[in-house]
Amino acid sequence: MTIVALDPTSGPVDPTTVRRLAPRPASLSGQRLGLVVNGLGYSERFLDALAEELLATTDLDGVVKVVKSSVSVPPDPGDWSRLTEGATVAITGFGG
Amino acid sequence: MLHARREEWQDADAFLEDAFDRGWTDGLPVVPPTPEKVEALLAAAGLAAETVLGTVPTREVTVTAEHAAINAVMAGCKAEYFPVVAAAVRAHLDEHGNCHSTTGTLSGAAHAVIVNGPIRDEIGIAYGAGCLGPGFRANATIGRALRLVIRNVCRAVPGFLDRATYSWPLRYSFCFGEDEAAGDWTPLHVQRGFGPDESTVTVHSVMRMVSSWDSSSRTAEGVLDTIVADTRHHGFNGDEFLGDQIPLVYVMGKEHQRFFFAEGWSKAHMQEYLFGRLTAETAGPHDRRYNLGHPENILIVAAGGAGMAETWILFPHLAWAVTEPIERVTLPA
Repeated sequence: MTIVALDPTSGPVDPTTVRRLAPRPASLSGQRLGLVVNGLGYSERFLDALAEELLATTDLDGVVKVVKSSVSVPPDPGDWSRLTEGATVAITGFGG
Repeated sequence: MLHARREEWQDADAFLEDAFDRGWTDGLPVVPPTPEKVEALLAAAGLAAETVLGTVPTREVTVTAEHAAINAVMAGCKAEYFPVVAAAVRAHLDEHGNCHSTTGTLSGAAHAVIVNGPIRDEIGIAYGAGCLGPGFRANATIGRALRLVIRNVCRAVPGFLDRATYSWPLRYSFCFGEDEAAGDWTPLHVQRGFGPDESTVTVHSVMRMVSSWDSSSRTAEGVLDTIVADTRHHGFNGDEFLGDQIPLVYVMGKEHQRFFFAEGWSKAHMQEYLFGRLTAETAGPHDRRYNLGHPENILIVAAGGAGMAETWILFPHLAWAVTEPIERVTLPA
């Protein structure tokens, strides 16, 4: 005997509303790099080393670094402004 | 009226295999959520299908009573369990439950559903011997229902929005009751502002679960000092989101409870004793301060059977412990 049952999900992800990845620049030349440090583990040390490497090997125009006050909260409004106004590309990272 | 998309399958086995293929299960078999069964659960809680139990803003997800009922049927719940499931979903989705973080975290946090009040005995919530483990339908299926909602509705699927490094077995199901008649302690829900005749769930995120085993102490203070030492082995630095509401749950078994009953210790007295010792400054790498804001944030729950002189410490992830009332309707006889 056939059975009728209900879909248990909240529906398929709507492609018209889903957030998409930002366009990727072809190179870092002239870009200003934003770094968002979430405070876990050695994330700040890692991102500092990454920035140093990229500054030495590319034509980056500068770095805007934000360190969150806690792992469980977003950057504060002032830091958001510094990022959105001062950076053209950004890297964040997490890890324990 | 139900709103979820309906499909027809050749039989229950065909549904089950399809449910596995579509990722609708936790890896175990599920019960087909037929419209009739889902409606029976909604009726038992007196909830309309479209009643909103909560949202996950970061995922643009709204969780309705119908979503929860579908997943509760799949988990194996009886209709009379659903008021507990609905309350647990509300508690989990409370703003202070920090649901995006606790279900997406690398740490693989689980969620303890602690049930208080008369409903425990009415539906068979276990709170005695073996209550943290398998063998009790109400415990197993209510805890599982919350997890299926987290997976199917809130999209915390491993490798997608669930980023756990290991995850852990408590994520299949973790629900138990408090043994309110074990002694003369004030039940958890009464300490948190509800009446003794009300029923509640308290949802507590659990990042790690540690046994504090002490079969040597013969006094209440001795037991508490062991619990303090075991808690401070891990400690908790504090967190901006949690603020002064960092919780800590102790599930105390009978072999520890009896010292407190014999010496006349109330939970409030225990909380005061523990608070000062847990929040004392860190003294070394294996003695770390637990940064509680208030003694009331120490939640003491009596549960378990006789034999093992043990208290379980449920360390939190980044969420408050949230208590919600269980709302029911009186069903016709």
